[in-house]
Amino acid sequence: MAHTEAAALSYSSASRPGARVSDGPLLRAQNVYRMLGSGDNVNTILRGVNVNIFPGEYTSIVGASGSGKSTLLYLLGGLDRPTQQRADDDGPFDPPSRIFIDGQDTSELDDAALALVRNEKVGFVFQFHYLLKDFTAQENVCLPMFKLGRLSRSGAMERGAELLKRFGLGDKVKRRANRLSGGEQQRVAIARALANEPRVVLADEPTGNLDRKNGDMVADLFQELFETGQAIVMVTHDIALAQKSSRIITMEDGNIIRDHATEKQTTDV
Amino acid sequence: MRWFISIRYFLAHTRQSLVCIAGVTISVMMFIVMTAMMSGFTDKFIIETVESSGHLTIHDEPRESRTKILEQVYTDPNAMLVVHGVKPRERVKQIKNAAGLIRKVRQMPGINAAAPMVNDGAIATYGTKTINVDVLGVEPEQQVRVTTIGTKLTSGDFSRLKTAADGIVIGQGIADVLGAQLDDTIVLTSASGGRANAKVVGIFETGVTPVDYSRCYMLLSNAQTLLGRKNIINEIVVRLNDYTDAQAYASQIEAVAGYRTESWQESNANFLKIFAVQTVITYFITAALLVVAAFGVLNILIMAVLERVNDIAILKSFGLSRADITQIYVIQGLVIGLVGSITGLICGKIAVEGLRRLPIQMEGLVKAEGLLMSEHRSQYVVAFIGSLLVVMLAAVYPARRAATYDPVEVIRGAH
Repeated sequence: MAHTEAAALSYSSASRPGARVSDGPLLRAQNVYRMLGSGDNVNTILRGVNVNIFPGEYTSIVGASGSGKSTLLYLLGGLDRPTQQRADDDGPFDPPSRIFIDGQDTSELDDAALALVRNEKVGFVFQFHYLLKDFTAQENVCLPMFKLGRLSRSGAMERGAELLKRFGLGDKVKRRANRLSGGEQQRVAIARALANEPRVVLADEPTGNLDRKNGDMVADLFQELFETGQAIVMVTHDIALAQKSSRIITMEDGNIIRDHATEKQTTDV
Repeated sequence: MRWFISIRYFLAHTRQSLVCIAGVTISVMMFIVMTAMMSGFTDKFIIETVESSGHLTIHDEPRESRTKILEQVYTDPNAMLVVHGVKPRERVKQIKNAAGLIRKVRQMPGINAAAPMVNDGAIATYGTKTINVDVLGVEPEQQVRVTTIGTKLTSGDFSRLKTAADGIVIGQGIADVLGAQLDDTIVLTSASGGRANAKVVGIFETGVTPVDYSRCYMLLSNAQTLLGRKNIINEIVVRLNDYTDAQAYASQIEAVAGYRTESWQESNANFLKIFAVQTVITYFITAALLVVAAFGVLNILIMAVLERVNDIAILKSFGLSRADITQIYVIQGLVIGLVGSITGLICGKIAVEGLRRLPIQMEGLVKAEGLLMSEHRSQYVVAFIGSLLVVMLAAVYPARRAATYDPVEVIRGAH
């Protein structure tokens, strides 16, 4: 069984190399299936994936196009929900197909509650979908904070400006998002992902649409974040970028076929 | 946060937003203007008719029994019952003990005044000109308490009916048709053969054409003589403290008096029905305008949603729920509705004031200088709430559609 094999390849918090925090998993996929379509046109994207992501880890998910890595990322971040029923109407999966975020079973959450979990605990960075063009860089960063409501409006704006300054965009705080370069937009997107101090940042090919220079800059940013203890899960085709992470999960045809720690991580930690 | 995003989106497409607002503004303004025009005409007619004729009239006959004697015998509802050659009764109709009834009515709560009257048709002649008129025999000092006729005189004095022998107050329309002026003497001939020379001691103008072209007032005793109804009162006119209660009081007085008592609504039922139909048509036209404006809002919001599919995916990715997304677009509808409605109310008010001042001579059922415009707070409230509601409804569909976008599908589409 594919998921059994995958389960065997996944870490436990005790055995993984370079573990910084000995908590339970931050993100947990339990026998996760994801199917699209219906009837004879069912396309199975994920086939019983089991994986745990722990606090402080910098995980890269690699694999060929269509292997299911982005789907797994969206599911781990609560942006999508796993399929619960088998395609042949043969009842639910056993064990049930579940995603846990910070120990919370997302199948028990309605849309609003899951949205709140995303808002508070997860930060997404995408390849193309950068920013809301009608808003300034600072406002883009602040929107998740406005939603969470933990900070006052002025407090959020102040933190937004600080984050942008930290990423070298102190002079572009008030600039409209669509007037920033691609690299700058991606840095603003990373700042936005960090706005609510999420438990984990999920990045879907964050350098895929950038030139070499900007790609390296973004890669360095992720490295810096990791070094501050930020948990990161990144989908990438860039093996060099993946090598900078502490753990690499390799996917193929909807299964995890390899899950291992990198030397870099072992050396650094 | 939802308001922040909504307003920013709203401002990002200023031209489209202004087009939406303009549509709502025009609809609301048209509603205000058309209803003000309708109400102006209706109010003028009702008020002038009611105030010059009294709120209630007690007639000299019992209310006709609904079940006639033949229908009591032949109860089949489909039977056609015809009686040929019915001879009219020769009984002279009158209100018995009218003075006692007037006293009784005056003592009822909510009654402002009551006055006796004798009323019948006659022909007025002045030189070679003749016109059919309604002769109203009244006690002048009592009549001015039950109606506003005393204030409607353009020349002469209503109280002169009492002092001048054979005095008559005629409507402006009658005066125009006959060519008679103040202090001229006209000849009145009644159906009973009575004839009187009457001196015009006053000319009134209510502005209601049927009244001004048919009604003339004489002293009660003179009219009784002319009409061949010595000492007979065939109508009692009643004024209420609140004319809108007329129907309730009519039933109450009818039960006490035993005579058919007509409220002004019953007396003018045909006109009121026409006004009701006109009101419905007005509402229908303005509602159609508003629906067109709402379709504009719907269209523009759908475009706004389609343009911002990526934004919706991003917003959802950092924690906005379907309800949040729905609210963002509903708020845009609300803003368009609020700004459009308020602007429409202001423009409507300005238009009403402008039209009121237009020097247009109106002469039809109602005669007036300038367009008759009447505003009621309810018109503004209905226009505001109605437009807001329709625009909000128009915003719901695109808002719900926006909320249903699956962020994963959107993100995959961009890949």
